[in-house]
Amino acid sequence: MSAALPIPLIQFLQVATVAVAAPGVSGVIARVEARMQGRTGPRILQPYYDLAKLLRKESLAPEGASWVFLVAPVAAAACYLTVPLLIPVLTSYGLPLGYMGDILGGGFILSLASFLVAVAALDTGSPYAQMGASRAKTFGAITEPVVLFVVFTVALVTGTDLPYALAATVRSSASQIVRPAHLLAAAALFMVILYETGRIPVETHTGTNEFGMIEEARPFEHSGPYFALLKWGSAMKQLILYTILLNVFVAPWGLAASTQAGAVVLAIVALVAKAAALGVVVAVIDNSFAKLRLFKITEFAAGAFLLAVLGVFTLYLGGG
Amino acid sequence: MSAVAAPSVYAGGASVIAVGVLLAEFGMFRQALLRDQVRLYAAQSALISVLAVLVAAARHLPELYVLGALSAGLKVVIVPVVLRRLLRGIGRSPGPDGQATDAGPGWTEIAGSGSLSLASTVLLAIAIAAFGFFAVGAMGIRSPVLPPIALSISVSVALVAFVLMIMRRDVASQAIGFLAMENGISLTALVVAAGMPLILEVAFLFDLLVAVVVFELLIRVHHGRADSLSTADLTRLRG
Repeated sequence: MSAALPIPLIQFLQVATVAVAAPGVSGVIARVEARMQGRTGPRILQPYYDLAKLLRKESLAPEGASWVFLVAPVAAAACYLTVPLLIPVLTSYGLPLGYMGDILGGGFILSLASFLVAVAALDTGSPYAQMGASRAKTFGAITEPVVLFVVFTVALVTGTDLPYALAATVRSSASQIVRPAHLLAAAALFMVILYETGRIPVETHTGTNEFGMIEEARPFEHSGPYFALLKWGSAMKQLILYTILLNVFVAPWGLAASTQAGAVVLAIVALVAKAAALGVVVAVIDNSFAKLRLFKITEFAAGAFLLAVLGVFTLYLGGG
Repeated sequence: MSAVAAPSVYAGGASVIAVGVLLAEFGMFRQALLRDQVRLYAAQSALISVLAVLVAAARHLPELYVLGALSAGLKVVIVPVVLRRLLRGIGRSPGPDGQATDAGPGWTEIAGSGSLSLASTVLLAIAIAAFGFFAVGAMGIRSPVLPPIALSISVSVALVAFVLMIMRRDVASQAIGFLAMENGISLTALVVAAGMPLILEVAFLFDLLVAVVVFELLIRVHHGRADSLSTADLTRLRG
């Protein structure tokens, strides 16, 4: 027997789940990856300890850095905390704030966060941070069309571009799952997520080789609580993208259909379990492929673009 | 704007297999080793055989079982084995001076034989595939056994195989491109003429064997003359 939760509380829980569980998902991936390489690996809770340590440390700013350098981590974290309001994190029904923006709106907020971090990296004057920012924006420009085509697919499949609508469509019947447009869009989105979260084959996540870095190089000059916010932010971005892939495209099951406390708690557990399972898949990919050379990343993006475009084509011919 | 209705599970599954055939064709742009190229061709042929069996089961066309089995035996087993043996034979023959030839890093290495970068090639192929898609889609040909989109995809497979043959400057990829084009045509035949007499289908399959023999001859002659698989060497022959 469980009580009904007030809607604002569920809305808040969406954000809190993402914020709290995000470092843990990174921890699971690091752990699984290490075990597959025969190492013991860090504790799953290690990212939390890292964040706690960084939050206690003093922070230094490079000489000449302006207020942008200090505002960006906070503003980026605020962006990442906004997106979970727009996507189905816990519930299968749209929450009031869920209709503030569609998939494209969520994408804009994610890009805004990435833009702010890039500007802060440019502000430092450090070559590595600038290189990371410049690369992230360069390759971002070629993965952006893929995201657009995925959104077009969603729009054609559901007639709207609300993530809740697609999740409901996918749940509605088996024929929605095997249709080629859905599979192609999900695969393209997964490739974009591998790029956006800085995983193999695009980038080594744990490496210390600056020359191959894209996302990882950007917070090089930040320290203390600001660095903690950036790290936490990128973990949240990872979990947000996983949630979009899982709860909208691949496995929109296990979401709470009511406001009952039991259902919502079950949804939280289900989300964390699904994200951890996806993390294991990502760890397997991390361990079984080599990092692409920097100029081969365009080929990876071209592959994702091919999948997304084929998805839209099949829909226009009426067979998707 | 209204939503595009989902096809039935059978039509969706069949379309997914057809899309897989097209994706395998695109994958051939990327392969850097001949061995992998042949393997991908075998996988593509296997997908078509699976589709034939699926159609046979769903639409009660028993002769398609025979066709599926025959095409699997021929295109998944025999042709790849023949190609692989041929390529191994070429690998063993040394150049005229007994040294490694200047054909590149190795005879099976066909990476970088494309005349455009991979990403540009893929974009070009997407444009050409789109032309095939919509040109055929506009004809509105309906088929009783497969969704019409499979026809569009099959034409795209043939067109993209053309792009592969044009863009790759090595004889082996061109041969594979030709064979893959035949795969596209098999797919077309499956859509528009699933009830075609079996004897005709089998005749087409054996035509393929003739093509393999011709290509084997071409590859051998070319390799004997130019000591490489690259057709770029042929430009030297200009007067």
